[in-house]
Formats: sequence, structure tokens, C-alpha cells
Amino acid sequence: MSAIELKHLTFVYSKKTPFEKRALDDINLSVEEGTFLGVIGETGSGKSTLIQHLNGLIKVQDKKVSSVIVNGLSATDKKALKNLRFEVGIVFQYPEYQLFEDSVKKDVAFGPKNMKLSPEEIDARVRRALEVVGLDYDEFAERSPFELSGGEKRRVAIAGVIAMEPKILVLDEPVAGLDPAGRAEILALIKQLQKDVSPTIIMVSHNMDDIAVLADRIIAMHDGRIELDGTPEEVFCNREKIAEIGLDLPLATRLRDKLVERGVNLPDGIVTPKQLETALANLKSGGLNERGDDNV
Amino acid sequence: MFKDVSFGQYYPTNSLVHRLDARVKLFLTLLFIVVIFFVKSYFGFMLTAFVLLVVVLTARLPMASVLKSVRGILFIIVFTSLLNLFFIKQGDVLVSWNIGRTMFAITKTGVHTTIKMVLRLVLLIIGASILSLTTTPVQLADGVESLMSPLKLIKIPVRDIAMIMSIALRFIPTLFEETNKIIAAQKARGASFDTGNLFARAKAMMPVLIPLFVNSFRRADELAFAMDARCYNATDKRTKMKKAKFGFGDAIALLFILSFATVIMLDRYYFGTIGIDIDYMIFGGLL
Amino acid sequence: MSQIELKSVDYCYSLGEGRSIKALKNLSFSIEKGQFVTLAGMNGSGKSTLAKLLNGLFLPSLGEVLIDGVSTKDENSTFEIRRKAGMVFQNPDNQMVATIIEDDVAFGPENIGLPREEIIERVDYALKAVDMDEFRTRTASKLSGGQKQRVAIAGVLAIRPEILILDEATSMLDPKGRREVMGIAKKLNEQGITVINITHNMEEAVLSDRIIVLRKGRIAIDAPPKDAFASGLIEACGLSLPPVLQLAENLKKDGFEFDNQILFEDELAEGVCRQLN
Repeated sequence: MSAIELKHLTFVYSKKTPFEKRALDDINLSVEEGTFLGVIGETGSGKSTLIQHLNGLIKVQDKKVSSVIVNGLSATDKKALKNLRFEVGIVFQYPEYQLFEDSVKKDVAFGPKNMKLSPEEIDARVRRALEVVGLDYDEFAERSPFELSGGEKRRVAIAGVIAMEPKILVLDEPVAGLDPAGRAEILALIKQLQKDVSPTIIMVSHNMDDIAVLADRIIAMHDGRIELDGTPEEVFCNREKIAEIGLDLPLATRLRDKLVERGVNLPDGIVTPKQLETALANLKSGGLNERGDDNV
Repeated sequence: MFKDVSFGQYYPTNSLVHRLDARVKLFLTLLFIVVIFFVKSYFGFMLTAFVLLVVVLTARLPMASVLKSVRGILFIIVFTSLLNLFFIKQGDVLVSWNIGRTMFAITKTGVHTTIKMVLRLVLLIIGASILSLTTTPVQLADGVESLMSPLKLIKIPVRDIAMIMSIALRFIPTLFEETNKIIAAQKARGASFDTGNLFARAKAMMPVLIPLFVNSFRRADELAFAMDARCYNATDKRTKMKKAKFGFGDAIALLFILSFATVIMLDRYYFGTIGIDIDYMIFGGLL
Repeated sequence: MSQIELKSVDYCYSLGEGRSIKALKNLSFSIEKGQFVTLAGMNGSGKSTLAKLLNGLFLPSLGEVLIDGVSTKDENSTFEIRRKAGMVFQNPDNQMVATIIEDDVAFGPENIGLPREEIIERVDYALKAVDMDEFRTRTASKLSGGQKQRVAIAGVLAIRPEILILDEATSMLDPKGRREVMGIAKKLNEQGITVINITHNMEEAVLSDRIIVLRKGRIAIDAPPKDAFASGLIEACGLSLPPVLQLAENLKKDGFEFDNQILFEDELAEGVCRQLN
């Protein structure tokens, strides 16, 4: 069964006014459980409207035409909505700006409390969530989230979402504004979350290098449509389209192209530094003077 | 929850109305607000609506954005009209019924008073929103500063007040947007804001209000730095790029609104019967 | 005389109740006119504090910051210094005072009391310099992050600064916005403006003449990019090498050799190519 099934999803902002804007235009998307889906696209391409449909934050506009089904729950079914919220956890951009409780423990407990879980279960989940994001319970539980460092705040905010133990976790630009050490930690954490908590991950990012390494599948959005859909290798091979919709290629792909231009024989479909390194190491150890004559 | 981010926001069309001297617009808006309380006949209300229509058309504002401001006070309108409708006891009774020992009645006078009150509120809000739709916060603040400048003599910090006002207006959309973001994030964690009694609902807003306040203080801090870095308070002789100048258009606008005010005042105080007569000609027995 | 000179600067934040923490410890260095300097460090290293000392928003607890020989502590020169050293901040939404773009750009010149004609002239110049003049009468709320930051830079340029300080001005932008802002910084630097870019993004550092890395309030590295990256200290300061360099380092392990420190993609491609052909 697909974790996510979107059919003919269209959404128009400010309908019938001079400000009318088609944010989503007939989106069809089916995501298998266990997928790490990368979502790329310029600001305003419809990414955030799309993800907010997944947990019912944005209501399906035309119920006759569009359908949103997540883990068997329909977003157009009012009764299913509450459960949908807990099925799909969304970590928004700069999530630390939404912290509000006077202790880390209480803030992380907000979601589980809204799920009406028992106090013991809430406590257990808070402990688990803090542990997963790498914050020591005894050290952090009673501290005020407002006095933590930027990276710690972000972890607390992420813990607040994963304490609901959603099957699907959506992260919108999860490393924006962090320094390199913070970035590396959070990216590693996300990989871990897929193993421990949420088997299906959707990550929105502007960083093509991160996406190329992490995602199994990428969708590229532009003007409310999915323009490209496939593995990172497939998506980034479509250079014209990527450029046309205002996106960049990953560093490894750019370098691969520069090398090919200079006559080095490299296959297409190199998107991560590792792939490039391996390919180059092979060429080198092969000791062959391989020149790609078919390349310009 | 707060869908109308653009409520009362400056709408640039560079029309004649947009280019008017902000001081004139402020003055005329104030005059309009006073005058609208002197309107007593339906004829007067129609005249007022016509005047506003002329202004909106001249300003090339889309009707939708003008009416949006009315939607913002819909609750107040409904609430006060219900009060009026049930508590005005004078005049012929139209319908009445008993609940327990209390008798409720709706009278003809009640209905007319209510209709007129609604008209007054709606026209008032439209008039005020035309000002904010056609005048940038900076122009507005400059206008206030200029009109209040006599107060400088008694050491009132007019310039700072104007600056605070202009910044407040500038940040309204930013804060609305932020509020919506926080609401979405808390909803995503299962928060609900529309269940339970009033107290429960107020409490449910805390997860939104606390971060909003915390973030606003952070913003204020950063803004203060940014203003300092750009030499705010470097000199007492601050200058202005755009100097409001009283022009031909302003004279026409003044004349237009002043004649409207005169007609309303005449209708009320000197020819008390004309408006009423016209009302009867149109509505006849309904009155 | 250097344009910017720090002499044994300490800066302490007060935590209340008589407690304080030292954010900067005994810093001394100078920056010459026309340089493009990257000021880097992980969060909490003191880099943003240092930025605010350069235009007198903060005053040193000990020591002195001199701009063209004038101390920021000299109260009579506060505004002279701020006119010389303009600053763009991190969040584009929190530094705009006016709704209309040209009004915002005019804010600085108005503050220093310039005559009307000159304000208009400067607003023209500044908006053209950042290539935003077609937006001048529009509202800022409809702009992208990169465009908003360009307007913020215009707001600073309208004061005709000799020094442009970018305080993490790109950290909230997408790659396109980042490129726009860095492109403008580079162009202004070529026109003679000293640029000080505060960042933790080492890809931006590649563009500069010099990198100063702070660690725990002290200078850990102060060198041109190539030397800074070769120092082996970047990671220890909580930063990471630009991805191109990381790749080059890994290729070295596979037996590739590069006679120079690699900074740009083309250099790497060139170097690799030479060894395969």
C-alpha cells in the first residue's frame, strides 16, 4: 500500500479575486512506505501548499476532483482528520520559533498530550523523543527551551514533532540557518529518524547536494506542477529542465560535466561526491588513458 | 484563522487619490467620520455611498479589497444590530413573542435604527479603509507628524510618535504572516483552537501568543539595531525625500468632501424635511 | 593608517546579577581599505558581536576599535562612523522600516539630514547599484528573500559607506538569493568598498581576500583562503571546507595530486583532467 496517494490535487489561493494564484495544478503523486522523498523547487513553486495538504492543515478545495489519501485515511473525511494530524508530522522551517512552554519536557509533551495519551505514555514518549534527537533527558528536561543554543532549540522542536511518532515525517528546510556542525548533526539525525521513528520521510530543501545524498526519490516542482519525478540520478540528468525551472545541479554533477567537457570519459548519473570519487578512482587505477571521443 | 493578511493594506495604483497630500486625506477622513454621524435620512446614506463610490473608482481600487475591511468588523456589526433590534422599545411593534415572562418585541423604529446603524458602520469603515488603501504608512506618519507639529512646542516627541506609527503599520502584515505560521505549526502538533468554552479557547491560544511575543521582541531588537546602524537620530534636522505639497487635486478633493459635508449638515439642520421626503418618495409605506 | 583597527578588544555580555560572559578576548587586527574579508566562526564564536563593534553598535569593554583612526568610543563621532561603516543584517524582514521600497532606501539619507534632491539622487544610485530600480515604488512584502536583502544593501549604500558589513546577510536565503547578494558584494568591492562578510558558509569565503576565523572569542585563523583551508584548522573551529575542497581532499586519498590548493570547480576539473590524460 502507498503511504501517500494524491490524485488530481489542485489548489487555488484567493479564488476569484485579482490576487488569484494557482498553487497546485493537478498533482498526482504516490509515495511508497519507506521512501525518502526529496522535494525541490523554487520559492513559491507550491512545495509548502503540497505538504500542508498531507496532514489536513490545508483542506482539499475540490472534493469531487481531488483526493488525498494518507495511510488509508482520506483528508476529505472529517473524522479521519484528527488522526491524520498524528499520522503525518510536519517540522516547519525554523521550528524553534514555535517553542512556547517553560520547560523542554512540557514543550515536547504538547503533541502527545493533544493525542490524549496516558500520562505514563506521554512521559515515555518525551523521553524517547529527546533521546532520539540526542538530548540527555536529565540534563535538558527541566530547562527552559528559550535559553538553549540555536542547534539545541531546533532539536527540541523536532523532538516535539517526533514525540507523536508519526509514520510519515515531513521536514521543510530542516537545516536552514544552522552552522556547518549543526547541519551535519541534523542531517545525520534525519537519517536516524527514518530507521527509528518514521519510515517515510519527505524533505524539502534548496540544497541539491544534501538531497542528492539523502533521497531515494526526488520530485521537482514548478508553478504548482511536478515537473520531474524519479531517482536523484534520473532527475539531475535532465539538465535542461532543471535549469528551466530555476534549480541547480548538485556539485558532483556539475564537476562531472566539466570533466566530460575536458574529455574525461565519465558515465552520466553522477550526483553525489562519493559516486564521482569512485568513478574517478576507477579511471585512475585502471591506468587507462580513457578519452571520451564521443564527448564534445 | 487570520486569513485577511492584506486587510487595509496599501494598494498601489498611483491614482489621483493616491497622489493627494496625506495631510489633506487625513483631514478629510476625519471630517468624513464626523459627518457620517450627522446623516439621518436614507437619502443621506445614499449620498454618502455615492461619494465613496466616486472616490473608490477614482482611486482605481478593486471593490474586493475595499469590502474586505467590512468583513473584518462583521462580528461587531452583527452583535450591535442584534442589541439594537431587541432593545429599542419605541414605535409600532412588528413582531413579539414571550420567552418565560419576558416579552421580546421588534419595533419599526428598532428596525430602522438598526439598518441606519449598520449603514453608518459599513460606510465609516469603507471611508477609513480608503485612507489606508491609498496612503503608504510613511505618508500617513508624515501627515500625522505635520498635523501634530504644533504639539512640538509643548515638547511632545511628535517625530518619534510618527515613526512608531509608521513602523507599527509596516509590521502588521509581517506579524499576521508569522501568526499564521505559528498556528499551522501548533495545529500540526494536534492543537485545536475552536473547541471548548471561552476560557478553554483563550488557553488554547497560549501556544500561539507566547512564541508570537517572544519573536516580536527579537524582531524589535533587530530592528532597533538596523535603525541605529542607518543613523537614526543622527541629527535633529531630519529631512524628507517626499515632501507633501498641497496641489490642485487637493483643492478639488477638499471642495468635493466639503460640499458633501455641507449637504449632510443642511439636510439635518436647515431643511429637515427634504431628506425624509425623498425617503418617502422612494420607500413609501415601508417607513 | 588602517581603515579598521582593533587594539586588544574585550567584549563582555552582562547576564545580570553582576555575572557576565566574555564574548571576545583580547582581539587585535586591522583591515585595509578595499579588502574583502570573511569573518567566520560557528554559532556562539563571537563573530556577530565583533561585527557590531565595528560600527559602534556595541562598544568594547576593554581596548579600542578605530575607524580611520577615530575610536568608536568617541561619542561625537558615533554617526560619522556609522556613515562610514554600513551594516546589513540577517533577517530581511526585521530591518525594513518602510513599506515602499524607495521610502526604505531613503531612511538613512533622511536621518542624516541631506537635502531632498540629494536624497533622491542617492536613492536612484543605490537602487541601480543593486539592480532593483524597477521595483522602487512597490511594496517590499512581495519580494523574494534575495531581493529584500538587495534592498537592504541599497538602504546602506544610500549613506555612501566606505565599508559594507554583511552580518550573516545570506543565512536565511536560498542558493539563488545567496548568489545575488554575494555577486553584489563582489561588485561593490571591485568599486573600492571594503566588504566584511560575516558567515559560516565557507563557499562564500572563497570569494574573499582574507578569512578571519573566530573560535571562542579569539582569532584562530587569519589568512588568505588558500592558506586558511590548508591550515587544517577549519574543522576544529566548527566549520567545514567548501564542498569542492572536501572532494579534492578525498581524491588525494585515491592517489590524485594537486600542486595548488583547489578553490574553484574549474581548478579541480583542470587538475583531475591533467592526471587522467
